[in-house]
Amino acid sequence: MIAQIGLSILLGGIAIYAWTEWSRAPAIGSIAMLATASGLYLVWLPSHATWLADQVGIGRGVDLVLYIWVIISLLVMLNLHLKLRSQMEFITVLMREAAISEADRHR
Amino acid sequence: MPADPNSAIWVVLAAYNEATVIGRVVSDLVRHDYAVLAVDDGSHDATGQKAQAAGATVITHPVNLGQGAALQTGIRYALKHGAEYIVTFDADGQHHASDVETLVASLKAHRVDFALGSRFRGQALAMPWARRKVLQLATWFTRFTTGLQVTDTHNGLRAMTRCGAARIALRQNRMAHATEFLDQIARSRLGYVEVPVTIEYSAYSLAKGQKLSDSLRILVDLSAQRLHR
Repeated sequence: MIAQIGLSILLGGIAIYAWTEWSRAPAIGSIAMLATASGLYLVWLPSHATWLADQVGIGRGVDLVLYIWVIISLLVMLNLHLKLRSQMEFITVLMREAAISEADRHR
Repeated sequence: MPADPNSAIWVVLAAYNEATVIGRVVSDLVRHDYAVLAVDDGSHDATGQKAQAAGATVITHPVNLGQGAALQTGIRYALKHGAEYIVTFDADGQHHASDVETLVASLKAHRVDFALGSRFRGQALAMPWARRKVLQLATWFTRFTTGLQVTDTHNGLRAMTRCGAARIALRQNRMAHATEFLDQIARSRLGYVEVPVTIEYSAYSLAKGQKLSDSLRILVDLSAQRLHR
């Protein structure tokens, strides 16, 4: 029960993160929300996890939960990469304006 | 800083560490009476000074941002200063200044907003076989993603009207800008025409140009852009 509560709190945190990111990166936000909801479902219904794992050939339910966790981690990494790209776009706009202003000043 | 150019045709060069050739490239264009705008993209050599000495107006990025970012800076500056026609031109000397006139004449003759240079309709001198194959794949990819029936997707020689240029807002700082450029033309629904041009490869331009491995990076950049707003 303690592990389930701990995992649920972590997954809840990721759900909030996915929700806040949805407006900026809808695809990432949606997949992360789906993965998080799947994780919560399997954490609280481990027998279903075992059944589902067996159906897809993973073997143990706990492995399925682990794989979902890995997917969520990769999505968070991808989202961070996209955020870095957005920051670079802001920096580019800033530098462009500075370069144009400087060129105009020397005309 | 050179005097204000009177020409309605602005040629924009994105230049990064091109001190070896930029003077000759700018001189050729200035001889044709074009307003030449060189965007020095954070070069570590004397690119900016040599371009300016040859007669170009120079804008300097404080750090290297990439060819796409430099072209967008040049387009924005040219629009701000009243350009009627804007031509993008590679700074490494592989384009011919005489093709600029052909491109602009095609804009007027066909009453379109974009004239795209095509080395496959024209000439690609000393082009390596592997590069030809990669460009053919890139052309297939661009046709599939943009719907434009072009024959050459990564040709830096292109001309646009003021109206067309105003619709271009490149967000891809590096080499993926070429595909993004075509994507934005398709979305603008403005007219375009392909024009035969000559590209002359040299040992210098091949060393400076895109590597085959860059094509994978371009795919990653284009995919990443589609994932966020």
